Amino acid sequence: MLELRHISKSYPTPQGPLCVLQGVDLRLAVGESLALMGESGSGKSTLLHLAAGLDTPDDGEVRLDGRPLSALDEPTRARLRRERLGLVFQQYHLVPSLNVADNLRLQARLAGREDAAWSRELLERLGLASMAGRYPEQLSGGQQQRLAIGRALATRPALLLADEPTGNLDETSADEVLTLLLELVGDSGCALLMVTHSPRVAAPLDRCLRLSHGRIAEASP
Amino acid sequence: MNPAKRSRRFRAWLALGLTALLAALLALQQRGAEPPPESFAGLGEQAEGYTQARPGASLRFPEDHGTHPDYRIEWWYLTANLVDGNGTPLGIQWTLFRQALAPPGDNDPERADSPWTSRQLWMAHAALSTPDDHFVAERFARGMTLPDRRGQAGVITEPFAAWLDHWRLESRVTDPAGDALDRLLVRAQGRDDGHDFGYRLALSAEGPLVLHGEAGFSQKSADGQGSFYYSQPFYRVEGQVEIDGETREVSGRAWLDREWSSQLLGPTQRGWDWFSLHLAGGAKLMAFRLRGGGEEGGDYVSGSWIDPDGRQTPLADDDLRLTPVTHSSVAGRQVPTRWRLRLPSQELDVTVSARHVDRWMDTAFPYWEGDVVVKGSHSGVGYLEMTGY
Amino acid sequence: MNAASQRTAFLALFSHYRRHPGQLAMLLVGLWVASALWSGVQAINASARDSYARAEALFSTGLDRIERRDGLPLTLDDYLSLRLAGAPVSPLVTGELELAGGSRLEVMGIDPLTLPEGSGFRTAGGTATLADFLQPPYRTRLAPDTLASLTEEDDTLPPLADGRQLPPLELAPELPPGVAVMDIAAALELLERDDLSRLLVAPEARLDLPQPLVRSAAENLAAPGQLTDSFHLNLTAMALLALVVGLLIVHAALSLTLEQRLGLMRTLRALGVSGRALVSLLLGELLMLGVLGAALGILSGVWLAQWLLPDVAASLQALYGERVGSELALPWHYWLGGLAVTLGGLLTAGLGTLWRAARLDVLGLGRAQAWRGQFLRQLRGMALAGGLLWLIAGGLLAWLERQPPAEGLTPGFVMIAAGLLGSALWLPPLLAMLLAALARLLRRRPLAQWALADLQLQLPRLSVAMMALLLALSANLGVGSMVGGFRLTFLEWLDQRLVADLYLRPPPARYEAAVDWLEARDEVATLLPRARAEATLLGSASSQRQPRPVNVYGVTPHPALTEHWPLLASQEDDASAWQAFARGAAMINEQLALATGLAPGQWLRLSSPTGPMELPIAAIYPDYGNPRGEVMLTAPHLSERFQTAPDSIGIVLDRQVAPGAIAALRRDLSQTLGIGGDSLIDQREIQRRSTEIFERTFAITRALNTLTLGVAGLALLSSLLAQTGQRRSQLAPLWALGVSRGPLVGASIAQLGGAALVTAALAVPLGLALTWCLVAVINVAAFGWRLPLHVFPGQIAATLGLAVGVALLAALLPAWRLWRTSPRTLLTEFDAL
Repeated sequence: MLELRHISKSYPTPQGPLCVLQGVDLRLAVGESLALMGESGSGKSTLLHLAAGLDTPDDGEVRLDGRPLSALDEPTRARLRRERLGLVFQQYHLVPSLNVADNLRLQARLAGREDAAWSRELLERLGLASMAGRYPEQLSGGQQQRLAIGRALATRPALLLADEPTGNLDETSADEVLTLLLELVGDSGCALLMVTHSPRVAAPLDRCLRLSHGRIAEASP
Repeated sequence: MNPAKRSRRFRAWLALGLTALLAALLALQQRGAEPPPESFAGLGEQAEGYTQARPGASLRFPEDHGTHPDYRIEWWYLTANLVDGNGTPLGIQWTLFRQALAPPGDNDPERADSPWTSRQLWMAHAALSTPDDHFVAERFARGMTLPDRRGQAGVITEPFAAWLDHWRLESRVTDPAGDALDRLLVRAQGRDDGHDFGYRLALSAEGPLVLHGEAGFSQKSADGQGSFYYSQPFYRVEGQVEIDGETREVSGRAWLDREWSSQLLGPTQRGWDWFSLHLAGGAKLMAFRLRGGGEEGGDYVSGSWIDPDGRQTPLADDDLRLTPVTHSSVAGRQVPTRWRLRLPSQELDVTVSARHVDRWMDTAFPYWEGDVVVKGSHSGVGYLEMTGY
Repeated sequence: MNAASQRTAFLALFSHYRRHPGQLAMLLVGLWVASALWSGVQAINASARDSYARAEALFSTGLDRIERRDGLPLTLDDYLSLRLAGAPVSPLVTGELELAGGSRLEVMGIDPLTLPEGSGFRTAGGTATLADFLQPPYRTRLAPDTLASLTEEDDTLPPLADGRQLPPLELAPELPPGVAVMDIAAALELLERDDLSRLLVAPEARLDLPQPLVRSAAENLAAPGQLTDSFHLNLTAMALLALVVGLLIVHAALSLTLEQRLGLMRTLRALGVSGRALVSLLLGELLMLGVLGAALGILSGVWLAQWLLPDVAASLQALYGERVGSELALPWHYWLGGLAVTLGGLLTAGLGTLWRAARLDVLGLGRAQAWRGQFLRQLRGMALAGGLLWLIAGGLLAWLERQPPAEGLTPGFVMIAAGLLGSALWLPPLLAMLLAALARLLRRRPLAQWALADLQLQLPRLSVAMMALLLALSANLGVGSMVGGFRLTFLEWLDQRLVADLYLRPPPARYEAAVDWLEARDEVATLLPRARAEATLLGSASSQRQPRPVNVYGVTPHPALTEHWPLLASQEDDASAWQAFARGAAMINEQLALATGLAPGQWLRLSSPTGPMELPIAAIYPDYGNPRGEVMLTAPHLSERFQTAPDSIGIVLDRQVAPGAIAALRRDLSQTLGIGGDSLIDQREIQRRSTEIFERTFAITRALNTLTLGVAGLALLSSLLAQTGQRRSQLAPLWALGVSRGPLVGASIAQLGGAALVTAALAVPLGLALTWCLVAVINVAAFGWRLPLHVFPGQIAATLGLAVGVALLAALLPAWRLWRTSPRTLLTEFDAL
């Protein structure tokens, strides 16, 4: 489903190019969940952005459903993101002037594949049904992140990419959100690539990779 | 801006203008010379190109009642000490000044026939004093020479008339044998600080004309500077004075001075103190002191003793003594308003005091001019003029 | 807090601008344009006032004038007779000299010796002495700006066209522009005259004048400042509008910098900087920026004024015959005033910011995102304030309806200001409501829905710029319609009123000869003599009216004239009004009718040299461009009662006349009668001159209007630029969700274009309301005549287009920047804090 081959990526800095990823290989099967761990600056987020087609590697290839992303133009990559991917950010990135229901449906609608029943179910299961008419600023952090997860899953993506989805939450909320995320991912059958620095968060996932200085340092089953 | 302030501004301008002109002329002629102390109204400045008053000339009448345009300055100067029906003392002054702006032949206009082109500037002062008040007005005109009518200001001799606008001094003499100045009519109206004043007086001379100094040449400083100067001090006056619409019948005595010169003051003389006194018994005394310009930089003192029958005796500083006794603060200056006059040859020792200290003439060339009372060995009334303070 | 820690805190606060130089630029730009337009107009006003003051000092320090009733010049005899009778009159001769190079100079010959004490002529000193002034070669006194307009070189006067020289130059800054003053002897010589134009006398002087002479009181000669007040009030109102628009930018920039520095300020508070210290630091920052902005603004304002002044001067000369120097003369208080207004405006704009900083909640960190509740509160406040302002405007309108029309100038402007500001305040609530409604409507179109939702998000920031746009557009439309309508009406009126083909102004002595000669000519169809006089409109027994000076105008009620002459109101119909007029009734102009309330059917009492006259009023006629009240009689009636001969003749030519007839007539006139070509004016020439006057009058208005619109565009651009960073964090997630940059840029442009279109749509009714206020309230009060309301659809369409154009132009740069944003930059939005 997702395949990264010999990915290298460096950023220009005033002190010369900074190598973030050096020949990383990674595969993710359909329905599989993978935790990507590592220190700050180990290249976790960069890898996630490359996987989402938001950024392009200097070297190597990213393939989604067997197709190399580098061969696609921007509109096609954007459509691919709309239709096949779900993104969850640490900062939620909700639209403050849309209410809960509209935020949840935003991506699905943009992708032209809104499933009203599924959206309702998501609202129910995320515990947001009673606040569908509220605005993001009226929600707690945990509720906002649940809404962001809902927005990502509403399109029924093939792959959910999550960047520290619980990084801004306290432990209880984090556990609650994580449980819900895994449950929904499991039910919808989509694959999950989650960046985290917390072993506790990584533990329930199928596999775990550790990035260190731009290379895969170790893999756990 | 109130009118008084406005008029002050203009007067200052005019005064400045005239002084500056004359100063400029002086500067051209005396380049490099040490600037002398400034004299009153620039009268001490050198006036090259003008005819100079010199002793030895004899005066001729009625011609000399008229203008002498080739001399720089000239005046017809009338003062009168009057009383009204209630015995209130009043004083009047009527003066016409002529000043040449340029020497004869100089600056002759391209269009000499234009009546507006003139090198003569005329100025008239009219004043009326009561024991409490002092009303002053002044008017200006440029000289005009017109073939068939009177200009705005001027003096003619046949019949005698001196005028500026409707301020007139005219002869009433019909007898061709008599002097034109024997019988005069003088009139003026003015407005000062919201008050209307005016007078209309008939003057009749009870004595002859008096020529001062040396047959009319009156020396003004030790170095020979001087003017032509004669007077008619013997007028008896009848007429009316009007203040703010109220008319009073008045009578008294008047004194007319005629003087012309191109160099009245020496360059170091700052001003003068001038007395014209009617003494009881009919004698008259003219006395003046020119400050500076005497022997060794002292004052120059001169005068005339005039008998009741008009005989004149020249006075010099070996006989005549003029001493300021009291100074008063007038218009921001210290002006002597009480004097002691001594003339041992006539056994005269009198105090001359101003009826009111504030007789300041706030005109283009400001000076002090007012009625005085004489007490002491002789009594009388008269006028005192003080300039250059 | 000691100085060092204060400095540290200040630098921390100010470091914000190092990271966001755009905001600093926006603040300064706002201050700069606000103060530049304001001080520019004030510079013009100050210069004009200086010119008036100089003119008033010279001409109307209460000096009455004495002229001959028959209009002939006075003689030296006239003058001397008065002087010798004691009348304190002073002679004056005026005339025009042509200089080499073609420029013309007005010359006044005076006699400084007889001028009433304290009159401006006398005090217009210069440094030349009186003797220099009175004596050949005399002196030419004129103001430095007059000299500059005559010659390129610094201090030499050009010779006359015929080669003669003017007297030596003497600069006198207190003289009005365009006038040279010299001694009367010199002036008579240069003008080759030996008579006098008129005599002057102090108004308090009592005079008995011989019958041929007439005295005009100084107070009847309207002071220039008085006439032109309304013109300057108009300018000031325009400048005030520009100031408000500029301050809106400042306000937007300040709120933005505050919002973005809230975190920083909380940190500072937490680190021990007291609330008071924080406020004083912000205040210090404001003042620093204010002084800088004001300095920039005032300098550009002076430059702007220099650029506009020639037009203003031309307008004033055309409208009121007042000369205004073409060089700026700025008193010291002008500079201080500009600084004060800029700083005052800045503080007003920054008051909210300071207030919020003072009430800063140290622990409120988590609530920075609560924009929605805040925005709703803000909208409610705006709606409330806007409603209040509308109430004020409505109340003023109701009050104005019951006032005499001539007294409503300042209240009229206040009403317009309240109405405009009220409408501007209503704009954001209206836009928000519209967006919410549209968002509901378009929920099936997700990108559109997002764009609308996102526009709501931008609204707090954008609304200020939109308000500025609304104000500028309404003003543009309102003033444009007023000028356009005026133009239509004025030109039509001019066409109707100028019925004669030629106008001849013969010298009074040759008037009769000219009439006889013209009547004998074949090509002349009709002669229409005209006459003029001055009179006093006396109060009548029935009214408590104050006597007021009026012009009396005599015309010949020939059908050639009456058939075209427009009337505004008559007792029955126009034909009977003209019949009554021919029988001896009067007509009055609209200015007089509005000022006095006189109406057809009523009687008026007029002073005349032959005693007071009672006249019925037959009709009211429009009289555009005339600042004074006027009474119209037949020319013979006027000549008889005012003992003055007609001064000009309208010549109606035969229809079949050959094209060269006018030139032939002109030639014959000068050959047979010795009447110069200048005395004969072609109707087309008058039309051309009047149109030119008209165009010039409104050139300045148009220029200011355009500038204001430019400022509004700038406001839009700067607020867009200022929020670029914020926009990125809104756009990046959408991009990540799979909307590529193309549609995002498109959506951004559509957002702004749509908002501008809605704003413009609101500006249309507002602009029309403004037009109505201008023609029906302001014009009546300022000029004394009312204009019909004209609506120009093309202009409205142009306004709508202009608004969208300005918005798109302003959106272009941010959109381009968004388009060029690299994915990496967008990705930084996702970096964890």
